[in-house]
Amino acid sequence: MAGKIKQMIDAFVNQRAQGNSVLEGVVKIKLILKGIDPKMFTPQSDDDPAIIAKLEELMKEFK
Amino acid sequence: MNIKTAFSVKTDLRDVVKDIQAQLGDFETKLLVFFASSAFVPDEIASRMGDAFPGAETFGCSTAGEIVTGRMLTNSVVAMAFNQQAVKSVKVEVVDDLDIKNFKAFSSFERHFNKPMTKMDPAQYLGIILIDGMSGKEELIMDRIGDLTNVNFIGGSAGDDLKFNTTYVYANGKSYTNAAVLAILEPADKFSFVKTQSFCPLAQKLLVTKANEANREILEFNHKPAAIAYAEALGISVADAPNHFMHNPLGVVYEGEPFVRSPQQIRDNSIFFYCGVKEGIELTLLESTDIIASTKKALDAARAELGGISGIINFNCILRTLELREKGLSTVYGELFADYPTIGFSTYGEQFIGHMNQTSAMLIFR
Repeated sequence: MAGKIKQMIDAFVNQRAQGNSVLEGVVKIKLILKGIDPKMFTPQSDDDPAIIAKLEELMKEFK
Repeated sequence: MNIKTAFSVKTDLRDVVKDIQAQLGDFETKLLVFFASSAFVPDEIASRMGDAFPGAETFGCSTAGEIVTGRMLTNSVVAMAFNQQAVKSVKVEVVDDLDIKNFKAFSSFERHFNKPMTKMDPAQYLGIILIDGMSGKEELIMDRIGDLTNVNFIGGSAGDDLKFNTTYVYANGKSYTNAAVLAILEPADKFSFVKTQSFCPLAQKLLVTKANEANREILEFNHKPAAIAYAEALGISVADAPNHFMHNPLGVVYEGEPFVRSPQQIRDNSIFFYCGVKEGIELTLLESTDIIASTKKALDAARAELGGISGIINFNCILRTLELREKGLSTVYGELFADYPTIGFSTYGEQFIGHMNQTSAMLIFR
């Protein structure tokens, strides 16, 4: 499988920023500092279970 | 005037506090933020400042040099007072276990402001963090804060005048070490954040392929020993590399904006940094530019954005302070803030979105 991480990153950024472009930038920087650089992931990127688990945790926590 | 600054260079703490009280006069202080040289006994300064302003929330930290309107100082105490017209509401909390994942502080903020931290509007609220500068826990705390709220926290790592022994944070009459003070403010007017680091990104990229994050150590860049890869990127020898650390740090760059990671030393071809970097992060080599020019530009832009400035809190990296001292530019730097009520201090690390180095992170009130 491929592309799930990009989908999750997009969903996470939307969840946090709600369309606010300034907040989108802030959320992306926070992800980069965590070691998840959004620009490194495309629809073809492998589904790394460790990164998927990290993103799931982040999304769950901010609800 | 709803934000007022005061400072004292007196040596006896009783005189310092009286001096600051006298300068603030009958100002109705709701919140007092202060930064104090490590020359002052921590418990004593915390309690005396708390006692001197009984109706106010007080918090602050020890420093490696202070900044006040128009001047850079040493061995002083600087303070900024806010009245009700400047800050509608404020809550101050202490995190005294920096390893904890669930902050009681956040529950307290939620009770005080009557809304979940996840729902607080970052345009209405702001956070200030002051943290033990010798704890090495800044990344952990900022990462955790970032997970739990969209409110922007800005601040600095406490200093101890370059002794690198113990640093302190102060809150409501008490001093703490291995701790952080967190405050949420609801300002009455607009506010903004400035992050200026006086570096430009170069073309060379270094991918962190092996790191020991807890030790702030990078073992490999691009699958090569870190020191060798860094030296190759600059076209210099490993032996000469430490001479370039100050002027050529590395940065996590997002849309041209660097978050600086400053190398500290080389050991066994690993590079130890002043802040942690995770594996998989791409770093960009940076080159220093003019601190004075870039700070002036940032202040002018902030003034234009807000339409005026009524107060600035400047968290300015000690490495920038040392560079300014070395170049004889401390006075010129201080004068950049002559037109604005300002306090600040020379930090052992700066916080805004994350933890970083060689940066000035400024909180600006309209």
